[in-house]
Amino acid sequence: MRLAHVTPVAAVLLAAAPLGAQHAPEPAPPPAAPPAAASAPRPAAPPGESKEPPKYDAASVERGKLLLVQQCGFCHGSNARGGQQGPDLTRSDLVQSDEGGKQLGEFLKVGRPERKMPKFDLPEPDVVDLATFLHSTIDSVADRGKYQILNILVGDAQAGQAFFNGAGKCSACHSPEGDLKGIASRIKDPAALQGRLVMPRGGRRRRGPPQPGQDEIPPYLETTAVQATVALPSGQSFTGALIRLTDFDVTVYDPATNQMRSWLRSGGSPAVTLSDPLQAHMDMLRKWTDGDIHNMTAFLATLK
Amino acid sequence: MKTSTLATVTVALATIGLSPAARTADRAPGLDPALLTRPPTDAWPTYHGDYSGRRYSTLGQINTDNVKSLTLAWIYRTNTSPAGAAFGGEGPETPPPASGFQFRVDIKSTPLLVAGVLYLTTPDHVWAVDPRTGREIWHFFWRTKGGIHIGNRGVGMYGNWLYFLTPDNYFVSLDAATGKERWHKEIANVKREYFSTAAPIVIRNHVVIGVGGDSLDVPGYLESRDPETGELQWRWYTTPRPGEPGSETWPDEYSMSHGGGMPWLPGSYDPELNLYYFGTGNANPVLSGQSRKGDNLWTASIVAVNPDTGKMAWYYQATPHDTHDWDSAQTPVMIDGVIDGKPRKLLAQANRNGHFFLLDRTNGKHFLTAPMIDSINWTKGLNAKGQPIPNPEKEANVPGTLVSPTTDGATNWPPPSFSPDTGLFYVGTTRGFSMFYLTDTDPRPQGWAAAERHVANLGAELKAIDYKTGRIVWSRPQAMTASGSNGGSMGLLSTAGKLLFGNDGGGNFVAYDAASGTPLWHAGLGTNTTNGPQTFLLDGRQYVVVGAGDQLFAFTLQQ
Repeated sequence: MRLAHVTPVAAVLLAAAPLGAQHAPEPAPPPAAPPAAASAPRPAAPPGESKEPPKYDAASVERGKLLLVQQCGFCHGSNARGGQQGPDLTRSDLVQSDEGGKQLGEFLKVGRPERKMPKFDLPEPDVVDLATFLHSTIDSVADRGKYQILNILVGDAQAGQAFFNGAGKCSACHSPEGDLKGIASRIKDPAALQGRLVMPRGGRRRRGPPQPGQDEIPPYLETTAVQATVALPSGQSFTGALIRLTDFDVTVYDPATNQMRSWLRSGGSPAVTLSDPLQAHMDMLRKWTDGDIHNMTAFLATLK
Repeated sequence: MKTSTLATVTVALATIGLSPAARTADRAPGLDPALLTRPPTDAWPTYHGDYSGRRYSTLGQINTDNVKSLTLAWIYRTNTSPAGAAFGGEGPETPPPASGFQFRVDIKSTPLLVAGVLYLTTPDHVWAVDPRTGREIWHFFWRTKGGIHIGNRGVGMYGNWLYFLTPDNYFVSLDAATGKERWHKEIANVKREYFSTAAPIVIRNHVVIGVGGDSLDVPGYLESRDPETGELQWRWYTTPRPGEPGSETWPDEYSMSHGGGMPWLPGSYDPELNLYYFGTGNANPVLSGQSRKGDNLWTASIVAVNPDTGKMAWYYQATPHDTHDWDSAQTPVMIDGVIDGKPRKLLAQANRNGHFFLLDRTNGKHFLTAPMIDSINWTKGLNAKGQPIPNPEKEANVPGTLVSPTTDGATNWPPPSFSPDTGLFYVGTTRGFSMFYLTDTDPRPQGWAAAERHVANLGAELKAIDYKTGRIVWSRPQAMTASGSNGGSMGLLSTAGKLLFGNDGGGNFVAYDAASGTPLWHAGLGTNTTNGPQTFLLDGRQYVVVGAGDQLFAFTLQQ
């Protein structure tokens, strides 16, 4: 295993001269950010802002909700999303453009008689509460980070167990008494459990900045890391967890020395062979039915 | 030692001091409109270089034989400090927290190069940069009121005037010589979660722009404004009003007037047909079709409009009844080719939904639909018009459904390229999988109405597609890591030097042999490129310019 002519990372860096041949000193650049779409998630709260007071005063929201039901619900629905006679207030241009009840209050004083919307003489604090409720409702629509996944445990646990031992071939690698013992206690969120079932590593975008105490094990130290074998022209080869592979360089991790080793590549040399310990999960991506996923999730949820 | 340091400083100061003054004194910054209708060589006068959207350059000074000698000319690092900037905007001195400043200020704009000056943008910022030295000439800073600061595609130009859009939805015009504001016009309400990212496209005396934002079920529109006054010339809504053609594809007025369809990217233009081609956004609510049964025209469509009137000439809907955030805003690329033995005016698009489409751009007639990736699992095949038929079982539900591609799509906004030399259409693709969970079970769901969890990726590839058949001629896997494949969608440029410039998902900017996909040259930029690469001839030297993160890199041949 030990190599005579391994090029340490430092030597590669010293040797790098023109920009055209330079390589990042880090083991790998961070994964590319997902392509930015117009429909990006709203940004998560920046670090240090989590302790700030909530965006909307909860008591005011509650009072506003009561007012909505009592005063407006008959026409606009008890959730403000519109009723038989009145439009959806949460999608109203006037409401969405309102600033803390200012425009809403001016409007309510007059109403819209031509469309049979009567005027309302509400005290200013009531208008503010009503506006606060409407704005918090709109915010709960606009802010996807607040969406709550509902009850996903609708599958048949017994069918899941049969899949586990049968068609899914899960039992070839996993056991409810072994590696999966207590999995549902370790991963309490069913959606997270389902995610780990489909792919027990990476792939999921981290939402927001790292939190204190968050597991920061680099991917190449995970047992699920893709493994690489680098076949050097000398005939020697080196195997370790893959850190990065491009057409121009390869970096692997050597657990024996706790070091990264990298080689420049050109024209496909040195050849690199990859093996993925999660290949069975990768192959399953094309085979899963949603029913099998739901049943398997229900089964895993019983392994407390 | 001391002397040489001083000398260097003196030279640098002199350059800084002289450069802007010299620029403004001895040049005419204006854009000759004729530049817009022929392939660029000594200019890059509009977002795609020319109107075709091909991002192909006829320059061949840098070619497959000498690209090994391509070397760094300069780096410009975006200066976002307001010090020394010209100001505009109606927002406060300190940006509001809601304006999303935690987004990286990646350069997503393709800079324009006109009369020897580069103009580039990030949200709220415009810079003029000397393309010979990479030095800043001027900087304009917009005080924002808010809006999502995810990206800005760049400026448009008309004569001496520049135009750009802001996250808080202002259409702003600057004097190209000084960076001083001429005027600004509000085009949409930021409180309704509209935000604007597009690069304006100038067609004669029309500045064509579109809006973005799909958090609150607001209607999308494309509009044209007067280049001198900024006043509205026409506006085309991407969804019909009751009684209009297309309204039969929505259940009611409520759904169609809240149906989204944001045209958030610049399009292409055929001067002979006088048609502007662009893609519309996904329908709203984004991930639930519960309250909008039907095809939902004209969302997720490729549309042709007359830029003089704003009237639609034809449309082709790439994703009927989209429920996965797959807008069709990706560049419609004009190809003059041969199909069935006849010369044709064609339009090709690599769509976010995983398919490559080829149309007749005179009338929207469909020629070809071909899958770009092999993991698509959301369709029940194609209909007679070549449109994918959505499988309703793959629409978000409460216990979750596994879908490929993800909301990011098989590809996304970064511009693809078509080379008439190779007949190949180049695009960065990825094969992601996500679980889609319905979270809003109201009969009238709102906003996104569902949550997405990315779970896996079978791999990202740079692909070269034969435009006539849709066949993948070559495919280049992107960088791999311990946790799988990186990369995917990327900005591309092909040239008469038989080269294709792109990235490898591993932080390298790469020149590929356009015919075979063999990498011939690379530069490790530390991060993947974030815009469309461009090229131009300046003082007889060909430059290749690309943005990666907050830096703009210029390369030229060693001499």
